[in-house]
Amino acid sequence: MKKVIRSLQAAACAIALVTNVSYAAQWQPPGPIKLMIAFAAGGGADTQARLIAEEIEASSGWKFIPENVTGKGGLNLLKAMKGQPNDGSVIGIMVTESLAYNRLVAGDSGLELSDFTPLTTTAGFQMGLVAKTESGYKTFDDVVAASSGGEKLRFGAMSPKLADLAYLLGKAHDIEFNIVSLKGGKAVMNALNAGDVDLGWGAGIQGKAVKAGEMVNLVSGLSKPLDLSPDAPLLKDLGVEYNADGYFLFAAPGGMSDDVRNALADALSSVAANPESKAGGLIQKAFGGAAIFKGAELDQMLAADSEAAASLLKAAAE
Amino acid sequence: MDWFDYVLLGVQAVFQGPVAFELAGFAIPISVLMVLSGFLLGILVGSTPGLAGPMAMAISLPILISVFGYHESALLPVFGFLIGVMKGATVGGAVPAILFNTPGTPDAYMTTLDGYPLAQRGEANKALRVAHISSASGDTFSDIVLILCAPFLAIIVERYLDLPEKTALLLLSMAFIASVIGRSAGKGLISVGLGLLAAYVGTGEDFSPRLTFGSEALAQGFSVASAILGVLIVGEVFKSMEDMRRDGISSVNARVKNSERRRGLSVGLLRSISPYIARSALIGTAIGALPGVGSTLAATLGYTTGKGRHAKLHPQKAQFGDGIPEGIAATEAANSSVSGANLIPVLSLGIPGNASAVFLILAADSIGGFNPGPSVFRFNADTVNPELVVAFGLFTMMMLANLLNWTIGGRVMRAMGIMTRVPKHYLLPVILLLTLTAIYIQETRLVAVWFTIGFGVLGYLMRRIDMSPLPFVIAFILGGRLEETARQAFSATGSDPWFLFSSATCIVFMGLTVLILLLSARSRRS
Repeated sequence: MKKVIRSLQAAACAIALVTNVSYAAQWQPPGPIKLMIAFAAGGGADTQARLIAEEIEASSGWKFIPENVTGKGGLNLLKAMKGQPNDGSVIGIMVTESLAYNRLVAGDSGLELSDFTPLTTTAGFQMGLVAKTESGYKTFDDVVAASSGGEKLRFGAMSPKLADLAYLLGKAHDIEFNIVSLKGGKAVMNALNAGDVDLGWGAGIQGKAVKAGEMVNLVSGLSKPLDLSPDAPLLKDLGVEYNADGYFLFAAPGGMSDDVRNALADALSSVAANPESKAGGLIQKAFGGAAIFKGAELDQMLAADSEAAASLLKAAAE
Repeated sequence: MDWFDYVLLGVQAVFQGPVAFELAGFAIPISVLMVLSGFLLGILVGSTPGLAGPMAMAISLPILISVFGYHESALLPVFGFLIGVMKGATVGGAVPAILFNTPGTPDAYMTTLDGYPLAQRGEANKALRVAHISSASGDTFSDIVLILCAPFLAIIVERYLDLPEKTALLLLSMAFIASVIGRSAGKGLISVGLGLLAAYVGTGEDFSPRLTFGSEALAQGFSVASAILGVLIVGEVFKSMEDMRRDGISSVNARVKNSERRRGLSVGLLRSISPYIARSALIGTAIGALPGVGSTLAATLGYTTGKGRHAKLHPQKAQFGDGIPEGIAATEAANSSVSGANLIPVLSLGIPGNASAVFLILAADSIGGFNPGPSVFRFNADTVNPELVVAFGLFTMMMLANLLNWTIGGRVMRAMGIMTRVPKHYLLPVILLLTLTAIYIQETRLVAVWFTIGFGVLGYLMRRIDMSPLPFVIAFILGGRLEETARQAFSATGSDPWFLFSSATCIVFMGLTVLILLLSARSRRS
């Protein structure tokens, strides 16, 4: 029996070595990697991070120590991560909005984009403006019509950026929404179901209800049409020049060397992009499939996001 | 497909699902096995001072998901285990409250009032039997109500409560707790105020954390676990250590008389506690059905109602708090009957009323294929609604867990009484260690352990000045929700500063809030 186990172990090592060669041949972490997670334990986003770590542990023998650092839209995590060693021993997962809009809106946060090294995105959001089918709204025009008929509409949003977008969308059509801020996409769905709000943003969580015909995507919050409701107009078509494009993002402390950055980004993204893996399966199911940006492309995207966020803040303050 | 077909499908999904192993020719379905293991773990966790059901659920959920994966077939085994833990911990929670005066959960606090004096008199076995029978009855009753009413009740409740009404209801429950628990409404209010203050550190909508004095450690706020376990458990440990230092170490803290050990409950006793069980089961079920009002309020209401009733009927006999079985029955039936009814808003609206329900929702969210909400209870005539099958599978497993509770629950629970033989001066450090370890496992940051000790000191001081820690705990739990709902109500009503008086229901709730405080202040003075 011992022999069998030993030969199994040897085989496992061999497989691990072979699969390692692809991305981690040149680099090994200096020790266990601290994985900071900006989401509450047990949710889909947290599970995604833990599963990705688990799979890398199994395939490459790196060791991860997950830690939830929640709150303030990822800013608590960014503050905790700033100034930590950039040798690959500390990474974190958040949303791109944390590094762009949330960092700027906090004002005195003392956080700069250069304080962090973005590694890779894993999945995007299918952000849509959602209403319940039984509310009778089939298109955004119905919402405009209801509002001009004197109805006061409540609009659920799960982040300040989305609240700003809701405000601008209303402004473009002379509607003053009563914007209710809710914690997380699940809370928006609950509020819609309970009738506490009439409209709300959903970042993909509405998919199942939309498929079942219980909810409708009235507007795509993205710069492109929604996968599920390709006919829903874009924010751009409705007179709002900003959008809610966003992704889950792995990042590390700033000034990381390219070798380390690439090794980490490749390890993380190859698990996320593989629908056969547990993590990839979850991403497929919960977030509609992987969306990978890394390297220079990711840097450009974040810089552009930060610029857009700054001008969105200005527009919403007017 | 009518409703009966769905019931059958649900039962089949549990008993004819994937097989775990075969025992003497019988195939044991994996879901049944998971309910059983969850139930046993739940009792163990519930009866270990310093541990609680939600904590075990939090730790086991990621493990379960990595074992069963993200397929729909994982739903029933994972739910089964979580439901087992929930039910086991509910019945087990009475054990440390009765034997050691340390409630494992806030809702078991009232159980200590009569359970511990009974245990000190050497009647621990009787106290445990009463707790078990009350808990199991309340639980089963509540599950039956859940199964009968789930689709209708929550939707009706939700229809009449808008955001302002929910805010007013939260205020009313806090005022109620502050004035009912403890000897003085003033101290109760201070306790509530402290709880709210602690809940508001580092939280809130704004991106710059408040009340932190610039400290990064405070910026994430205090976790529910560190505040609650700190005040309730560590505080009690500190107080007991002081008592031991003053009174000397006595190795006996709760004796089970040998003659008493095998004896069941007499018919007379059963007859005298059953009205209290029935009343509390009704109260607990009604409270559980309200989204967001948890089992602690139910336990408090059940206990106080029972107390009033008992004082009126038997003014000459021993009263609640002196160590009588009726007190245990009233509390345990009430807090246990919340768990089933709590799933009414969870299943029909997706809104949790307590921590255990939160983990069921998290499991559903992570696995997928089951979307708690109105769509669950749609009886499709031509196609099968798979979510409704899961719902009936869930009900089947709840009844299965109840069956386990009635058959082996009491025995397992009393077996935990073995811990009475451990002298308190050995046990207290173990409890302290378990609590702090559990906190560290949950939080994975060392500062949380310091916070817990800090809250322990607060809990100790509160006990020293005879201020009940329970209003603190409830205010801490409800504080975040209160702020959130109030903000939402304010913005939803178009920034109306008088939103708390915007409807008749609101005005009634607010009126009751003021009335309760005034009445309790007056009655105490006289």
